[in-house]
Amino acid sequence: MVVLRAGLCPGLTEEMIQLLRANDIRTVVDFVSSDLEDVAQKCSLSYKVLVAVRRVLLAQFSAFPANGADLYEELKSSTAILPTGSPSLDQLLDSGLYTGEVTELMGAPGSGKTQVCLGIAGSVSLGLKQHVLFLDSTGGFTASRLYQMLRAQAEDEEEQAALQRIQVVRVFDVYEMLSALQELRDRLSQQVVSSAGPFKIVVIDSVSAVIYPLLGGKQSEGLAIMMQLARELKTLAREFSLAVVVTNQVTRDSSTGPLKPALGRSWSFVPSTRVLLESKEAAWEKATTQRVASLAKSPRQPTGIQVELDIG
Amino acid sequence: MQRDLGSLPLAPALRARLVAAGFQTVQELLETGPCGLSKEIGISKEEALEALQVVRQECHGDAARTAGGSGATRKCTALELLEEEQAQGFIITFCSALDNILGGGVQLTKITEICGAPGVGKTQLCMQLAVDVQIPECFGGVAGEAVFIDTEGSFMVDRVVDIATACVQHCQLIAEAHQEEDNLKALETFSLESILSHIYYFRCRDYTELLAQVYLLPDFLSEHSKVRLVVVDGIAFPFRHDFEDLSLRTRLLNGLAQQLIIVANDHKSASHGFRDVQPPAVTQNAEGTEMNPRKRPRREEEK
Repeated sequence: MVVLRAGLCPGLTEEMIQLLRANDIRTVVDFVSSDLEDVAQKCSLSYKVLVAVRRVLLAQFSAFPANGADLYEELKSSTAILPTGSPSLDQLLDSGLYTGEVTELMGAPGSGKTQVCLGIAGSVSLGLKQHVLFLDSTGGFTASRLYQMLRAQAEDEEEQAALQRIQVVRVFDVYEMLSALQELRDRLSQQVVSSAGPFKIVVIDSVSAVIYPLLGGKQSEGLAIMMQLARELKTLAREFSLAVVVTNQVTRDSSTGPLKPALGRSWSFVPSTRVLLESKEAAWEKATTQRVASLAKSPRQPTGIQVELDIG
Repeated sequence: MQRDLGSLPLAPALRARLVAAGFQTVQELLETGPCGLSKEIGISKEEALEALQVVRQECHGDAARTAGGSGATRKCTALELLEEEQAQGFIITFCSALDNILGGGVQLTKITEICGAPGVGKTQLCMQLAVDVQIPECFGGVAGEAVFIDTEGSFMVDRVVDIATACVQHCQLIAEAHQEEDNLKALETFSLESILSHIYYFRCRDYTELLAQVYLLPDFLSEHSKVRLVVVDGIAFPFRHDFEDLSLRTRLLNGLAQQLIIVANDHKSASHGFRDVQPPAVTQNAEGTEMNPRKRPRREEEK
């Protein structure tokens, strides 16, 4: 829906734009979808000129179709699979987190989502020596816990370097989160165009905390912002070959119904893989670090697979 | 700046008009200028100017951040965060068992929630913490001040006087045992009057007042920068009754939670929410019996 402006393409002059606007044609879409003979008559413009302008505009603004084989080659060369640090979770996710996709971890409070996110950040930073961007919206990022996890896996100097590769941004509001993602996008596009950019993975803990205060009620503003965020995440993942991990809460329909992911049906189309985390037994009775992860949505594996996870 | 207009904090009506007129990215908006904008969308020049200012602020913020400027962004590496966390103290409770399970005491920059049935001692623990946050650093405390937001009206000043006197006595005993200069000097300022004068008390009677108070907290805390503890006694109480629209309640509670997290994070304080757990009995007079324990003055052993 780009507005028609002088200089948008050769042949589109200011007088032409004024005449078109007088006839209610303001944007490229209006122009391209209107009947040119009709327009030529009403605005007293040359038909040939209008056709030429339309051709240029179409070439400029339409999407290019791509060959399936080319797409496959591109995918093979740009996709990477990142380990999550936990072999059982890797098995659940068909060997790990795929770049170019959004993966969601959902669970009740205390089910271990932040712990798994910390494990993923640590494993990518320590094992693959790649940079990690961690967007924390709940204040739950505890560096000392991450340090503890890294110390269990590595020697001394490596942990410091690993911690330096993890960048933490605290965003407590959805607009701040969108700004942070825009900043990431600017930084990545300014880099030399190569597949080895500085960031390979973005972890967002949690996405429901920033959207919940806006959803519901009579305004549809919350839904619009949520879909804006969804679009930004998916395009970032696809364009820059990033793996995006988000965490979400769970709700129930009634007090005894089954658990379902929060943020509703519109959000359920956003992640391509969804993992539900649960405690093995009733939460407060025993101090346990055992969790059960089940696959709720996946493009590659059959859903319903369950594995046991130790977040300790 | 190719940022999409939908990601900026503009009013919904304004955004609808901008989209209908064909504007998509920030670049197009900035190129038009306020006069052109007011003509195209049909809003007054002042509104157009305001909108452009908001847009410019967001993008200027983005540009500053990309260029490496720090400003007020909360961005750092995990290593820097680790150093910060290790340098931070805890609010000790002088009850070693409790301090042990909390990993040293009540953590700063985090929200700790205490829930329990009515009469189990949540408000008592609250008042104890409001005194404990003021313990001087040489005794292992954080030497901060406290904000107490009371929604149930269960704050008893005479009980706080008891707790404070006991705390001062305890510190005096420690100072006498160890005989260090710092301890004795700190004790001069750590007295009953100073403890009471550093607890800022707010009484909120319904959820509107509670929300207003929490949203005004950042301004209050920037004037009183020594506050290290914010206690909200009874976060569930104002939301329990008179709420037909449950989704509004969820939204307000989540907004409140995010605001408290912002306060805890930016001002390096500990936020303390309290919650009453509903007793499992389904009888109607459960509500009635809840009120009594609060009115009864309590005589407990001093810690």
